[in-house]
Amino acid sequence: MPQNETVQGLGLDEYKYDFVDEERHVFRTKPGLNEEVVRQVSAQKNEPEWMLEFRLKALKIYESKPMPTWGGDLSDLERVLDEIYFYVRPQDHMEHSWDDVPENIKNTFERLGIPEAEQKILAGVGAQYESEMVYHSLKKEWEDQGVIFDSIEEGLKNHPELFRKYFGTVIPAADNKFAAMNSAVWSGGSFVYIPKGVELKTPLQAYFRVNQEKMGQFERTLIIADEGSHAHYIEGCTAPVYSTESFHSGVIEIIVHRNARFRYTTIQNWSNNMYNLVTQRAVVHENASMEWLDGNLGSKLTMKYPSCFLVGEGAHGEILSIALAGNGQHQDTGGKVIHAAPRTTSSIVSKSISRGTGRASYRGLLKVYDGAKGARSNVECDALLINDTSRTDTFPYIEIEERDANVGHEATVSKVGEEQLFYLMSRGLTEEEAMALIVRGFIEPIAKELPLEYAVELNRLIEMEMEGSVG
Amino acid sequence: MTDTNSTTAVAAPEGVTEILNRGLLQTLAAFDPSWLRERRAHAWDVYEETPLPTTRLEEWRYTDLKKKLDLDALRWPGKTECADDFAACPQGLRESMLEDHPASGHLWGIDGQVIHVDLEEGLAAKGVILMSLREAVKAHPQLLQRHLAHDALPAEYGKFEALNAALWTDGILLFVPRGVRLDLPVRVTRWVDQAGVAFFSRTLIIAEPGSQVSFVDEMLSRDLNETSLVSHAVEVIAQDGAQVQYVSLQRLGKGAFYQASQRTLAQRDSTLDTLNVSMGATTARVDLNASLLGSGANSDMLGLYFGDDSQHFDHNTSQDHVAPNTSSDLLYKGALDGHSRSVFRGVIRVHRGAQKTDAYQTNRNLLLSDHARADSLPNLEIEADDVKCSHGATVGQLDAESRFYLMSRGLSREQAERLVVMGFLGEVLSRLPLGGVVEKVTRVIEEKLRQV
Repeated sequence: MPQNETVQGLGLDEYKYDFVDEERHVFRTKPGLNEEVVRQVSAQKNEPEWMLEFRLKALKIYESKPMPTWGGDLSDLERVLDEIYFYVRPQDHMEHSWDDVPENIKNTFERLGIPEAEQKILAGVGAQYESEMVYHSLKKEWEDQGVIFDSIEEGLKNHPELFRKYFGTVIPAADNKFAAMNSAVWSGGSFVYIPKGVELKTPLQAYFRVNQEKMGQFERTLIIADEGSHAHYIEGCTAPVYSTESFHSGVIEIIVHRNARFRYTTIQNWSNNMYNLVTQRAVVHENASMEWLDGNLGSKLTMKYPSCFLVGEGAHGEILSIALAGNGQHQDTGGKVIHAAPRTTSSIVSKSISRGTGRASYRGLLKVYDGAKGARSNVECDALLINDTSRTDTFPYIEIEERDANVGHEATVSKVGEEQLFYLMSRGLTEEEAMALIVRGFIEPIAKELPLEYAVELNRLIEMEMEGSVG
Repeated sequence: MTDTNSTTAVAAPEGVTEILNRGLLQTLAAFDPSWLRERRAHAWDVYEETPLPTTRLEEWRYTDLKKKLDLDALRWPGKTECADDFAACPQGLRESMLEDHPASGHLWGIDGQVIHVDLEEGLAAKGVILMSLREAVKAHPQLLQRHLAHDALPAEYGKFEALNAALWTDGILLFVPRGVRLDLPVRVTRWVDQAGVAFFSRTLIIAEPGSQVSFVDEMLSRDLNETSLVSHAVEVIAQDGAQVQYVSLQRLGKGAFYQASQRTLAQRDSTLDTLNVSMGATTARVDLNASLLGSGANSDMLGLYFGDDSQHFDHNTSQDHVAPNTSSDLLYKGALDGHSRSVFRGVIRVHRGAQKTDAYQTNRNLLLSDHARADSLPNLEIEADDVKCSHGATVGQLDAESRFYLMSRGLSREQAERLVVMGFLGEVLSRLPLGGVVEKVTRVIEEKLRQV
């Protein structure tokens, strides 16, 4: 997108994904959430009876749980939830070739750069538009090895036994209010199975986009990395800017079997009126390793704490998190690690930047159960404050029941040093360039873990965010 | 108006019992001046309106009050007859006082009543006041009216703060006038002798501009066969440029539920340091807030705990940086043995506009047994950008390498372990090397270690 590049270079604080496609949908439910909506969603998907029951049960749980009073400000959410559409179906059926995807949806994704990526290196791409997956493909070589990368609906239809064995086992509907909500109305998301010993050298990618105003998105992803497999999954999220709030509540369940390695990367850049309340959790078995790489740049309020349940001896969990909170944004993010087996290890590194009236909060749990001998964990949180109206918080919970464990938590809060700025400006950089450079340096330990195209994107986003932030 | 209300059984407000009720309040306040009667009555109203803390409250998440304390079972203490005669007071109290170093003044009391006060000659002439709160109500009503349960711990602060403000029976007033410096600490020793009862006492310390004082507050008891609630509210005010050290040594026996609310207010250029040593009691909950209200104010906050058996310690601290150019540094360290459990929850709050704040917070825990548990929640809430803040928390076991080294030099395993633990905890004491305190605390820790 070279032409766009120059145009964007001139815009200050422009939200790149602020383009709206004309609304075209085949079906949508009435606003609000009730049993009828749940039944309609299930009927639209021709689901087996057990899934409808699962959904209806989840709805009851959702209704019985109170709104959380911690984390971000959810006081306005009840009103928002009454107004949004819980299910919107943009087209009739799933496409497997890019050419078959309707033009307006294609335009959106082209602006997101999907076909480009597809042509280059991607192993598989799933794209979700509104509530449904519209495009999904998988490179032939992986397909031959038995890798499954389907929409979640296809997963349920085509692999019913595998699906039912794992679905809802990592995050039961009763886990929290929003997991219950998702369990009731989930739609779209990915179903991934990596067979024993298969190593994917290039990442699987999914994109989520909300186009319609007052729209709720409830994607559900289930990933099973079988013994000794090795894979990386990347999701990106965007939405155009609307005057009313939208809502996203995903549930991501991952099972990492013995000796497997799995990495899940999210770059969340929802527009600034999006509530983003996501539950992500991985169960990590013997000597397996799970890595969450979580970048939160967009949304009005994000509450998201990727978790690793280390249940097998020698399991390893890692959470790398970057949050950028600009004007009016609250990023309440962090991570949880539960050590439930001996010799498990984990590390959490969190970097946050608060700018303007933005607020970045780290919230984390580190728990070592009695018997998890030799558990080791280290948590590091660094916060950077740009303006005197910015705010940062750190809320770590450390619960240790095992003597033979070593855990540490450290957090620092600082402002961009005047000397650093002065030095860089003395070398000819403008104040804004200097600021952007310092901020990039600050997040470097995490950005370097990203695939190149995402690292470039992240740097660009940060530069955009930093413009006009000085003085 | 109908009389339906009178026929409906109305549940008593939470925490109101057969003993702790408005009738008791009226008895206690019968001889109070009107301002104090009103203050107590107001505190009682707040107490009735405030629900009992439950684990659903963030600050009480790990201490389940319902399981630890049965308010309904508590009786009101009987009158303790003890003459102002050192030889006649309980042995445990005597032993501890004999261990003490010289002091500017002493105060000792039993079961919530002050028995004895002495103050170095000359200090009284300079205007220093050290007296029981009961006496102070008569002798210095304006001073108390201005500060007691008012600036630092008004009833609105919380359920226990309201209860204490309503029902306190005695306590201590220490007033140090402008520019007066006390070379030696003031030492307070309190003894609790009755089981199954509730005690409420208060300490009010006012250090006028440029004054200096150290205050050591020791709380002791025998082992109690029924739970006694020992509630203690501490208000410390350091005015401009004053230097104040407040040290609390909690060495209560088994069966005690110790509940302390402490708040320190540091004005411009003052230094207000605290040390909380928690060794005794079955359950000890300490709430400490340090407010830095004037530019240049500094607070060092130190804490030390050693748990064994099924002791439960809960230290809940906060550092409020309200004015710019203030600093605070917190270090809480603890060792946990047996089935003991520690909760540390601390928060640094940098208020909007409190630029140039330096604030630190460290909590380190050593688990000495397979059944001990430590929870640590160090929080930061930062609303100013030009600040330096950091916190750290660790939980771990005894450093095997240090132990191995010491054993290779000929020490037994026990000796080596003791040394490592002492070294670990000693860091806290070395930061506030107050004569008498270091030796006493070291001896108590060694006693505990001997039982390991």
